[in-house]
Amino acid sequence: MAFRPRKKRRRIFHRRKVCRFCADSSLPIDYKEPRTLGYFTTERGKIIPRRISGTCAKHQRQLNTAIKQARTIALLPYVGSVEV
Amino acid sequence: MRRYETIVIADPDLSEDQRGPLFGRMTEIIDQEGGFLIQTDEWGGRKLAYEIKGKPRGYYVRLEYCGTGPVVDELERFYRIDDRVLKFMTIVLEKDADVDAVKARMAEAEAAETQAAEEAEREAAEETVAEPAGEPEVAKETAAEPAGEPEVAEETATEPAGEPEVAEETATEPAGEPEVAPASSETETDTETAPPSETAETKKEV
Repeated sequence: MAFRPRKKRRRIFHRRKVCRFCADSSLPIDYKEPRTLGYFTTERGKIIPRRISGTCAKHQRQLNTAIKQARTIALLPYVGSVEV
Repeated sequence: MRRYETIVIADPDLSEDQRGPLFGRMTEIIDQEGGFLIQTDEWGGRKLAYEIKGKPRGYYVRLEYCGTGPVVDELERFYRIDDRVLKFMTIVLEKDADVDAVKARMAEAEAAETQAAEEAEREAAEETVAEPAGEPEVAKETAAEPAGEPEVAEETATEPAGEPEVAEETATEPAGEPEVAPASSETETDTETAPPSETAETKKEV
């Protein structure tokens, strides 16, 4: 029985998550582009956490402000989804 | 001086005439307070992510300008008072903006634009020169097309009998060549020699 946990651990496949903005430096974080920001929000409009999206700390900070700015001028919803 | 960017959501129901003065007032305020307007960018009507003042759509305008605090204060005061503005947001783009540098860059961009415009004009002029040369070709083609028709006309007399046979072979070929279809090598020579005489005929007909 003692083997099982080890086996389970081996089976779990960790895909190394890469920050999209680090991988592609040409990808801008701009509140005026709701489409790119839309990838980092859930269907409900919540910001997807770093541990799930894999974004690095620096870019997650920028994303946060950008998404929030986009929300204030109604480019992204506070709640719910938008058909763009 | 700082460099700001303001996004204004205006009422989408305003007509062009009503919108003009509103935006005029904004630029006036920037001038009054010693700001320098760099760019206005009208995104136009757009669906809002959520309703503002009961409206599902908005008319977006982006203003980019250099200035100091008072400019922003005055602009935002104006937006708050004015009913035509649904919402606005101002963002600092640069904390130490050099107005002269910005102006120089704008002048450069303008110069480049005018150059590009001139080039475009020149190209357009060249194209117009080139066009007449292209037209005769088209004329020939159109002349050649009618050339095919007479043939068909001759055939149409016998067509009822001839068509079923030819139909198989003409599947990939234009309708004008059913006669010639059986011997394809001949068709080429035929069509080449045929046009002059036939075009003459068609011209007469026309």
